[in-house]
Amino acid sequence: MGKEMTLDVLSSIKGASASKVVEDLFEVIKKGHINSNTVVNTNVNAVAIDDLRPDEVINSSATERNLIIENFPKEKNGFLVVPKVIEE
Amino acid sequence: MASTIQALHNKLQNKEISCTDLVQQKLTQLKESNYNSETTILDEYALDLAKKVDSKIANGENIGLLEGIPFGVKDVYLLQGTYSSAGSDFLKKYKSPYTATAIQKLLDAGAIPVVKENCDSFGHGSSSENTVFGAVKNALDANKVAGGSSGGSAVNVAKDFTTFSIGGDTGGSIRQPAGYNKVYGLKPTYGRISRYGLMAYASSTDCVGPIAQSLEDIQLVLNVMSGKDYRDQTSYASKAISNETVTNTLPKGTKIGYYKNFIESDALAPSIKANFETMLATLKNEGMEIVPLDFFDGNMLVSTYYALAMAETASNLARLDGTNYGPRAEGNSLKEIYSVTRSENFTEETQRRIVGGNQVLSQGHSEEIYNKAQELRGQISHHFNENFKKVDIVLSPVTPNPVPEIGNNLKDPMTMYLSDAYTVGFSLGGLPTLTAPLALETGVQITAAKKQDAILFTCANFLKQVL
Repeated sequence: MGKEMTLDVLSSIKGASASKVVEDLFEVIKKGHINSNTVVNTNVNAVAIDDLRPDEVINSSATERNLIIENFPKEKNGFLVVPKVIEE
Repeated sequence: MASTIQALHNKLQNKEISCTDLVQQKLTQLKESNYNSETTILDEYALDLAKKVDSKIANGENIGLLEGIPFGVKDVYLLQGTYSSAGSDFLKKYKSPYTATAIQKLLDAGAIPVVKENCDSFGHGSSSENTVFGAVKNALDANKVAGGSSGGSAVNVAKDFTTFSIGGDTGGSIRQPAGYNKVYGLKPTYGRISRYGLMAYASSTDCVGPIAQSLEDIQLVLNVMSGKDYRDQTSYASKAISNETVTNTLPKGTKIGYYKNFIESDALAPSIKANFETMLATLKNEGMEIVPLDFFDGNMLVSTYYALAMAETASNLARLDGTNYGPRAEGNSLKEIYSVTRSENFTEETQRRIVGGNQVLSQGHSEEIYNKAQELRGQISHHFNENFKKVDIVLSPVTPNPVPEIGNNLKDPMTMYLSDAYTVGFSLGGLPTLTAPLALETGVQITAAKKQDAILFTCANFLKQVL
């Protein structure tokens, strides 16, 4: 715990580092004034719990399944080949 | 301009033109075009559907209004069995396993998709230059950009390669290219059209919307695509926009607001400013009440939008790592496979946004930037709620500057981000906004309160008559 992940690891992009243009955007936000007298709802597009749909499994069609398999980066006997995961 | 859809429908039904000929004409135009507006031309797919419409007409059956009408689909929508590249190398060979709800509704109404349309990769751009299929050229001046990210869609409509096209708008991606190519483009209220099957950029502002040459066609297509969808929980049921809404005009005394700081900004081109002021004077003479309003600074709107959009896109694109999607690079470890795959297949601009998003969300920054941006967004929404107690609609320029030349946007990302200053605020508020190709060089934006999409049509019809 406590080990900070670098941006290239977080982004899974080789040599990724903070860019000046993005830093400049963030500086504007840091200086932004929040009006503490205004009560605002920050969850503007959140769905109410009562409106959530049931948690159910809907099987996809054979066509859909075949197309998903066709898109596999690596496939063997109809299964997706995944890279070895445990390393460190 | 009256409805092109209605005119084509009449010709098809009266056998003045066959659907096969109509579709073939569009396919030929697209193939011969050098505007880079397409990623895939759907020859066989479209001609098969056209033949079915022709046999229906030959059998004396009546066809629906959209039946046989050729349309384009921005290449961020899934259409089962066709490639959906999102303008990227990553998904260049990705075949849609299913069809997006909005597109399915158009297919159910009989409309025929003829082309998947070029766009900025994953919606990341304002010029349609950030694409691996070549920069899209503006329909009116091939040396200029098409706008973005739905540049291919706007150009196809403007050149009449498609009767209408379906774009996607996260921070202005329908409205800005519509303005740059002088066609209509609508970002409806967030949730009016299901996002299911639209590749997510920033899920909390992503909107599906039509681009067309006439207001009437925007209305027809919007009505078909709207509605609550089980598969998108943020979607909602809405009332269809009536024909009267589109033919009515605004009554005298309608309160039309505009943002003072947008118009007084030094960043606004003098020609756009002068034309906007002339437009307001005309509207005042027509008996409208013009109401100046205060609003957030353009830089603050852009920064708030990009901080949130980058955070959301970093999360949404995290799944693209070569395991489930895209070409998988070789590597000695899992981390290396991920990073080589992503470094080789995302464009520089997409990488910038992913890295920026992870920066926003990382320890230390999340409170200072992400949470604050969310608070600012809440205040922007609150501001809109208060504004629309005072006015019926708000008018604004689509962009601060005229259409730029091809080749400069990606070299100067900050200028590109700031070109979105007048569109991103309405995205953060989830408000319905229509670009009408009137009065200003890059069009005028008409914005209404949430779920008040209908008044946009009446206002645009009124502007058409008086400007």
